[in-house]
Amino acid sequence: MASLPTAGPSTRSASRMVRRFRRNFSAMLGLTLFVLLILLAVLGPLFTVDPLAQELVNKLKPPSAQHWLGTDQLGRDVWSRVVHGAAISLRVGFLVVALSALVGVVVGLLAGSLGGAVDNLLMRFTDIFFAFPSLILAMAIAAALGPNLNNTILAVAAVSWPVYARLVRAQALALREREFVEAAKALGSRTLRVLWRHILPNSLTPVLVQASFDMGGAILTAAGLSFVGFGAQPPTPEWGAMVSEARNYIDVAFWASVSPAVAIILTVLAFNLLGDALRDVLDPRGRD
Amino acid sequence: MATGYRLSLWVIDMFAYLIRRLFFVVFVVWGVTFATFFISQVVPADPALAALGDNAREDQIKEFRERNGLDKPAYVQYAVYMNKLLHGDLGQSLRTSRPVIDDLREFFPATIELSLAAFFVALLIGVPFGVIAALNQNRPPDVIVRILALLGGATPVFFLGILLLQVFHAQLGWFPGPGRLDPYALTPPRVTGFMTIDTLLAHDPRTFWDSLYHLVLPAVVLGSASAALLARMTRGAMLEVLSQDYIRTARAKGASNSAVILHHAAKNAALPVLTVLGGLLGGLLSGAVLTETIFSWPGIGRYVTTSASSLDFPAVMGVTLLAGLVYATINLAVDLLYAYIDPRIKYG
Amino acid sequence: MQLVKWLGVSLALGAGLAMAQDRTSTLIYGGDWTDLITADPGVSYEFTGGLVTDNLYETLVKFEGTDLSTLKPGLAEKWDVKNTGQGWLVTFNLRKGSKFSTGREVTAKDVVYSIERVLAIKGPSSFLYTDVANLKPGSAKALDPYTVQVALPKTASPQAFLNLLTFNIGGVVDSEEVKAHEQNGDWGKAWLTDHSAGSGPFVLNRWDRNSQVVLTANPNARLQPKLKQVILRYLPEPQAQRVALESGEIDIAENLTPEMLKAFGSNPKFKVYKSDNLRLRYIGMNAKEGSPFANPKVREAVRYAINQDDIINNLLLGNATKIQTIIPKGLLGYNSATYYTYNPARAKQLLAEAGVPNGFEFELLTATATCDFVPCADLAAKIQSDLAKVGLKANIKQIQNSEVLKIYRAQQAQMVLVAWSPDFPDPDGNATPMSDYNAKSLAYRNVWNNPTAAKLAQQAALEPTPAKRAALYKILTELVLKEGPYAILYQPAQNTVLSVKVEGYVRNGQNQVRFENLSKQP
Repeated sequence: MASLPTAGPSTRSASRMVRRFRRNFSAMLGLTLFVLLILLAVLGPLFTVDPLAQELVNKLKPPSAQHWLGTDQLGRDVWSRVVHGAAISLRVGFLVVALSALVGVVVGLLAGSLGGAVDNLLMRFTDIFFAFPSLILAMAIAAALGPNLNNTILAVAAVSWPVYARLVRAQALALREREFVEAAKALGSRTLRVLWRHILPNSLTPVLVQASFDMGGAILTAAGLSFVGFGAQPPTPEWGAMVSEARNYIDVAFWASVSPAVAIILTVLAFNLLGDALRDVLDPRGRD
Repeated sequence: MATGYRLSLWVIDMFAYLIRRLFFVVFVVWGVTFATFFISQVVPADPALAALGDNAREDQIKEFRERNGLDKPAYVQYAVYMNKLLHGDLGQSLRTSRPVIDDLREFFPATIELSLAAFFVALLIGVPFGVIAALNQNRPPDVIVRILALLGGATPVFFLGILLLQVFHAQLGWFPGPGRLDPYALTPPRVTGFMTIDTLLAHDPRTFWDSLYHLVLPAVVLGSASAALLARMTRGAMLEVLSQDYIRTARAKGASNSAVILHHAAKNAALPVLTVLGGLLGGLLSGAVLTETIFSWPGIGRYVTTSASSLDFPAVMGVTLLAGLVYATINLAVDLLYAYIDPRIKYG
Repeated sequence: MQLVKWLGVSLALGAGLAMAQDRTSTLIYGGDWTDLITADPGVSYEFTGGLVTDNLYETLVKFEGTDLSTLKPGLAEKWDVKNTGQGWLVTFNLRKGSKFSTGREVTAKDVVYSIERVLAIKGPSSFLYTDVANLKPGSAKALDPYTVQVALPKTASPQAFLNLLTFNIGGVVDSEEVKAHEQNGDWGKAWLTDHSAGSGPFVLNRWDRNSQVVLTANPNARLQPKLKQVILRYLPEPQAQRVALESGEIDIAENLTPEMLKAFGSNPKFKVYKSDNLRLRYIGMNAKEGSPFANPKVREAVRYAINQDDIINNLLLGNATKIQTIIPKGLLGYNSATYYTYNPARAKQLLAEAGVPNGFEFELLTATATCDFVPCADLAAKIQSDLAKVGLKANIKQIQNSEVLKIYRAQQAQMVLVAWSPDFPDPDGNATPMSDYNAKSLAYRNVWNNPTAAKLAQQAALEPTPAKRAALYKILTELVLKEGPYAILYQPAQNTVLSVKVEGYVRNGQNQVRFENLSKQP
């Protein structure tokens, strides 16, 4: 058993990957943005005031020393709201991706390794979810359960998992025929064990790449939901909701809607760049 | 003899394939309606209260529930719905008390028109930019295209819409504002629901141009993310093809750049691009929800938004059913197109 | 070939200049008309439906200008009310020569048909006839082609009946035309959804849902409009309305933000029309035994703790009327008393007297919607911060409006932030729901059972003499103000911005705008 090849790259190729990553400009840009974002979410709140505090006499004021990004239509500090929004968006992104990857991987593994009728059933089920326009399904779920952030996460996850299922199933199908899996089976390993020890680890690379792209996608979808009123509700400083609420003031106070929008763009950009880089590094054949 | 045999085998294969795919279409449509129905059953809030509001009397609420079958157990409601569906009846909207099918007929053409326009925008921007980038790999044009593509993929549709409206309509006045026509334009009689076609049918070229003009901004907004993706895909596919021996040979032999691209590269690069396109058209419907909100576009996206917020599930089910149908049909069309372009593909 | 020729010609003409309609005889009214679901006067119960049907159909009696207390003749020239001992007999004499858009004359049979139709269809507004006026099929009779008699039981208020006839439910339809379009005994409901058959100044020319409603002058109407056409253009986004108004694409904008209203107010090319709405934005407190708000002193403390002026002046930028009593400005019985002035110290003292000197924690329910001009959550947050200053800790719970209603109706809410509009322009539309526990409306939802208030409301509803009625409402409103379960926050203004070219725009408290009076300077 121990002699069977295990998942994961060897140390030598790992260091090569790191080198390749470091030479890639957009990968480094993505990483930098990502680190800044995490810092903003974690340490940023130390440099803010209460994101919910209204100061009606001071509304729609342009950026100043006191309000770095100005104030919004209720006199709230836009900078503080954008910073607090970082943690919200990251949380939404991470939870959506974690949840959908979990469901997708389980479905994909089961379908790919069990095959036959189970495979057929699960994949048809997956097809149905592919056919839904994601935002509309998410809207229906959010409307039914009530619009709030947790339901947004559930709703977006509900439309994001099928990609993982297909990905992992394809990987599992390919691996099933490979010698080390055959060997493990021949040695009498139970299916579950084979899944856990061999197929799962080998499927993780594409899942990781996909997850990185999906972070950006999930954040965009969640922001879109909030924009049309099915996601985070005011006064939550969610970026999409902030753009939505401030959009009627774009001519007098563009900072209130542009700041959260730029935050969304940079965040999504960071994850997309990271996704590109990860794919280049981990899976050179998949490069476009 | 052998050719004829092979041909008839191909026809049989193809036929079986088509049957299977059509079955798949039906299955997907059933699936999405079932899923939506399932969701509608977990609603904690009351659709009757959502429809009737604060001042409603108890007996009005009761009557509303009875009239719309909301007082029956879930499985009965589902059976009733499915039975009607098999007879081509999508039920009645709880909000407008109008047959859902009438609402869909009213709003869908505007969405298709916008989506098609966005699709062409994506094609017209995405493909040429991708080709240009590939031909200039790592030179400034390539870098610019790649940056634009990255930004295009990261910008929320709703923000792009707000921004373009503010800049190109409100500030510069280069493009018209929300809506499908100028408010003073004479709206043509409704025949197809496509404004561009109806204005032509009404022999009103000025209004036709007005309708096209109104399409530009929303189409750019809706198509931008697709254009970005398409540019990346085209670039990737082109690079792959360009690196292949026969192209390099052709180029070395002195064939001009454009001839090479036209004859070899573009055709081969079309395949992966086509795959993306199928997904794009389906995904446009999601983007339409946001774009239509910002551009006051009378399409299915705004309809489903209003319906969902008033818990009008028959209407939401109608929209998802339609979306499922569109998705499955487009997928089928793309597959067939794929086969047409690359006859080597087998229908297994 | 012809197509090619057109395209060539059009190219030469240039794009985007489609201007097929005369700009001075067509008026474009921009707004969020999404709530329009039917143009049937007997069914419509939404704001936009009222706005449209009021101009397509005439009613027997109506209000003119902004006055909602003096009835004026409509299709009926004269009317009178007789007390028969068993009930009331209301007789209407129709004027001769009023014509429907079809050219037919408006007669008594059309009036009776229209009433029967509402009773048969049982639409969302039909309770006005059945519950308020206690009408039954057969209550209305045509005595001759120009005389209609309606019998009301003793329990109904004839004044309330006459008042609710001014609402679009009282719109008279052309019975022959509607019968001709009946499908499966639906009383023409499907057809009238997007067609019109009335005698009003306009006819419904076309309705492109979510796009535009086109009303064209009715050539046969007694009240001839000054404009040929009024188009309601769907522009749900306030920002889009602002830009369209500035560029002259629309003449009137309906849903601007307080900031936009302020900016337009100082722009000489526009005028801001301020009108009152009959809506009251209020806080409901559950007075149930065991609820923290069961003690009237706690409810008084809340009224002292809320800074009404700050809400009206700074949150709404003055787009609301300060009011503390339960009958809105514009109706008989309106009481402008402002008994409570912002006084946190007094609030704290009252809380101490009530035995809760350190306050308490509770839930404040509000909807995921817009409360007049701001998101409900923002208004709730303002109230939360005011209450916090006297030690009352409100936890805001924001849910869908229908869910708020479900909890509120089941008497399960602790504190709600909601609004109420009377069903018809009569003080009883507020007095009974807010005072009479047994009416199963607002007093019931807040578990406030005060027999004195209930009795006063009943008495006032049936009092035929306006002066006596007003006196009764004064006693009632003051009683509810001090003891009731409400903290009334404000009565929102309905502000509309018009181009200075537009003349004749008048809007009353039930949001009626008579389009026939509108005109436009070149």
